[in-house]
Amino acid sequence: MKEPFGGYLLNIAFRLLVPFTVVYSVYVLILGESSPGGGFQAGVVLSFGIVLGRLIMGEDCKLFNIKTKNTLVIAGVGTFIYSLAGWLTLFGGGKFLDYSFLPFAAEHANELHALGILMIETGVTICVMMTILNIMDAVVKRSDDDGSAE
Amino acid sequence: MMRGFVITVLALLTGLFCSSVTYLPVIGDPYSVPNQHITPVYIAQSELDTGSPNIVTGTLADYRGFDTMWETTVMFLSGLTTTLILTSSTMGRRPEKEDEYE
Amino acid sequence: MQIYTVEAALLVFLILITACIIYCQDILSCVMIYSAFSFCAVLLYLMMGSPDVAFTEVVVGTVSTIFYVIALKKIDRWCK
Repeated sequence: MKEPFGGYLLNIAFRLLVPFTVVYSVYVLILGESSPGGGFQAGVVLSFGIVLGRLIMGEDCKLFNIKTKNTLVIAGVGTFIYSLAGWLTLFGGGKFLDYSFLPFAAEHANELHALGILMIETGVTICVMMTILNIMDAVVKRSDDDGSAE
Repeated sequence: MMRGFVITVLALLTGLFCSSVTYLPVIGDPYSVPNQHITPVYIAQSELDTGSPNIVTGTLADYRGFDTMWETTVMFLSGLTTTLILTSSTMGRRPEKEDEYE
Repeated sequence: MQIYTVEAALLVFLILITACIIYCQDILSCVMIYSAFSFCAVLLYLMMGSPDVAFTEVVVGTVSTIFYVIALKKIDRWCK
């Protein structure tokens, strides 16, 4: 954004707040199997830091300075990770998305199920985070090109 | 005339909705029809089948995994469509400043 | 019995908030009142015993409020 919302107080609050949101999002992602949470929430909380950085610091923000083309590609990679879990079960000899047949070494089928759920939630996390950055970049970039911000 | 017609239709619809609310089951009723079809099976078998103590995650990611995959695809397509529409089209934009002097 | 009273109060409050959004003239106020709508919905979901949906509603309400504020800043229409 060419006209960021920033200020002295907001900059300090941003630096204090963002590490906690990142840690909390990883917590939500990993414990999403056994408690409320999951991939969608973890992705949105993970994107909060970057969205806040672009809102507050504008174009000076070097936190995660990723271009729109790359966010599109990485969102597709997140979707691909999800379907890769399905293809791995096919290669292991089972049906599509039947996590008991993942080709990894495990003592019990429940460990394979936990591994498969963690894998697909990682894919959902990446896709949701990059999609939110996409939409925000589209809105901001259009209006910056527009000349309407004066 | 038109306003009276609209008010009559809205009143009829409101009456229909308010009368049909009484047929809905009570929230959390274990003996209602949708709670007796497949929910007991999920509650009994979810931890054995999926290994996840959270029934919601077990249903969402394991029983209905194919559904969630296409949800993720729909989300990716929504971001792609927003980027394509908003950044590449010049329709609906304000005119450039050079055009105002022509 | 008392939990139903709180739930009914929240539902009535939800309808009042919707009427406020419709009849409010200031756009930024509409966005802020909409986040209050999201908060009431979160409390209702928690009372119905679904913390997953409540968590999703918290997250989506926050993100949509951020996007609305960005769009309002971009169209130069902070009020009226």
